[in-house]
Amino acid sequence: MAVRRVTLLAPAGSLKAAHAAFAEGADAIYVGLRGWSRGGQKGELSRDEMKDVLEIARGSGRGVWLAANIIPKPEERKRLMGHLRALVALGLEGVIVNDAGSLRDVSEAFPQLLVSASVGCGALNEGDVLFYEALGARAVVLPGYLDPSEVAAIKAKTSIQVELMVHMVQQFVQLGKCFMPSYFRLRPSRTEDVGVRLTGSVKRGGVGVCFSICQEPWDLYWGERKMDRRLFPAQQVSRHGDLGDFLDAGVDIVKLQGRSLPPEMLAPLVRRYRAAIDAWEDGLDRPVDSEPAPLPPMWTAVGR
Amino acid sequence: MNDFELNTTISNLKNLRETDLSSFDGVYLGNIYCRLFEQNFLERLDDLKEGIQRVKDAGLLAYVTTYAAPRNSFLPKLRKVLEVASSANADAVEAHNLGVLRIAHEEFPGLPIHVGGFANVYTDSGAAVLEEHGARRITPNYELSLEEIDELAHGANLPTEILVHGKMPLGISDYCFLLDYEEKWGVNCPTLCQLPLFVKRDTWAMRSVGKGIMSGKDVCMLEHLPRLVASGHRTFRIEAAYETPAYRKEVGGVYREAIAAALSKGLYSVADRWWATVREHAPVGLCNGFYFGKTGMEYLGAESGMLTPFTLHATAVE
Repeated sequence: MAVRRVTLLAPAGSLKAAHAAFAEGADAIYVGLRGWSRGGQKGELSRDEMKDVLEIARGSGRGVWLAANIIPKPEERKRLMGHLRALVALGLEGVIVNDAGSLRDVSEAFPQLLVSASVGCGALNEGDVLFYEALGARAVVLPGYLDPSEVAAIKAKTSIQVELMVHMVQQFVQLGKCFMPSYFRLRPSRTEDVGVRLTGSVKRGGVGVCFSICQEPWDLYWGERKMDRRLFPAQQVSRHGDLGDFLDAGVDIVKLQGRSLPPEMLAPLVRRYRAAIDAWEDGLDRPVDSEPAPLPPMWTAVGR
Repeated sequence: MNDFELNTTISNLKNLRETDLSSFDGVYLGNIYCRLFEQNFLERLDDLKEGIQRVKDAGLLAYVTTYAAPRNSFLPKLRKVLEVASSANADAVEAHNLGVLRIAHEEFPGLPIHVGGFANVYTDSGAAVLEEHGARRITPNYELSLEEIDELAHGANLPTEILVHGKMPLGISDYCFLLDYEEKWGVNCPTLCQLPLFVKRDTWAMRSVGKGIMSGKDVCMLEHLPRLVASGHRTFRIEAAYETPAYRKEVGGVYREAIAAALSKGLYSVADRWWATVREHAPVGLCNGFYFGKTGMEYLGAESGMLTPFTLHATAVE
């Protein structure tokens, strides 16, 4: 794939979604291999589908990344490496991993791969990015709720690519730091080709993953007194309006969340960000359909 | 010299002064969740110096913990915290964030580093990487079973620290939703998160501490201490960042005695008074966390039938 200054990286949870993403201008897509990604079977591809996707990408000069973003148990590492080897031979360009051990193992075994530290690695500051860089990462994913100034400060310290998840759902608990679902329900499940997965563990799910308990209403008690019924706060983050500021800050890879998105929802999303990147590359401030959308003041680093 | 270490967490100087530390061998100073936590050691460097000195004067190990999810803007203050830890001869710093681990290792090479439970150490290969970056002790991710922890410990050859009692950390947020209630309740930050606040659904409960969420039930490994010591574990933590001095003193006293008993050659059994003490301090009940490969809020053991979950009897909905 030809190297672009900015890469638009789109999710694809099916062959149709992959077609839609490429058709709308994604430079690369990320996909999950059944049983080996956070997000569950619904958004994962079989090995045959992976081959098809890689062939489509090869034919159109685009890239495919594998979201291998669960933490493999010691006995699973070998199998994951075997899958990676086969996929690299078919033209896999990048892989997204979810912990320091996997990152180093994969980057050492496959120096030709663009190894990226998943948003689940929890990188938030320049120290994090430098840490993953030292382990061999060639990109680190940052959450889209950071400010452009934070990204610029991080980018100034690192020589690897900064991947910003510009379109994502920000749940109450930070990605990669949530053990709530498994506290309430942990269900071992056997999956095709992988063995036992602990459904309910966000980091090690593989099937069904998190039970989204944070999206249900909860009663808030002060001692034994019920004070309120409420949802945990969550918000849709979409940095389309200030994408230019992020690109000015040095973002290399514009990443969209949503392997579960159907093609008809994915297509306009990819189109919108493609247009925004193109506008920025053409020297325009931002596309005419967009205004900056600052995050609400409560969502700040110090809490108020 | 002790043949085990029992430590705990204290967030500020006021709490440290009020806590009887006689049951503990070490103290982690600081609150990892929020910069606005009342008089957080990590924001008050003079308090931190005094805290380290006070702990050392008591003949204990003084550790300094650090924020679990620091943004770039936290780093200047965190560097100062590390400077204080280093100059005041703290026995170690605890890093939950790998950026902080890197800074501590590169800029303060003499300072031993413990890796905390939010650092997501799930495997021996993860632990090995962190060891190369200066880690001297690891708290494995709370989701791991004892079997997985043992495998990790043997594979990585690093000492592990085990949470044996207290509310288990379950998540960290950028958002403090308790601030929504300042006006309504007439209680302001930083008092809000120190109230006994729980979010509940049916028989489920979690402790809300604003930007952090913890298990509603207290992890309790009293019954299972012989299993832990038989596997070679010798460093134990009572998580008490949001607990009272009485909690630390009384629960700490139980575990001091219980761990010593588990390490002795005699028969081990949990004394009734130990149960009474831990139950008294666990209004929502007890659990074993993930140590037995089960759902985190389950309790496994002889006493499981006696550990009823809380009952919902709300007095008012406002």
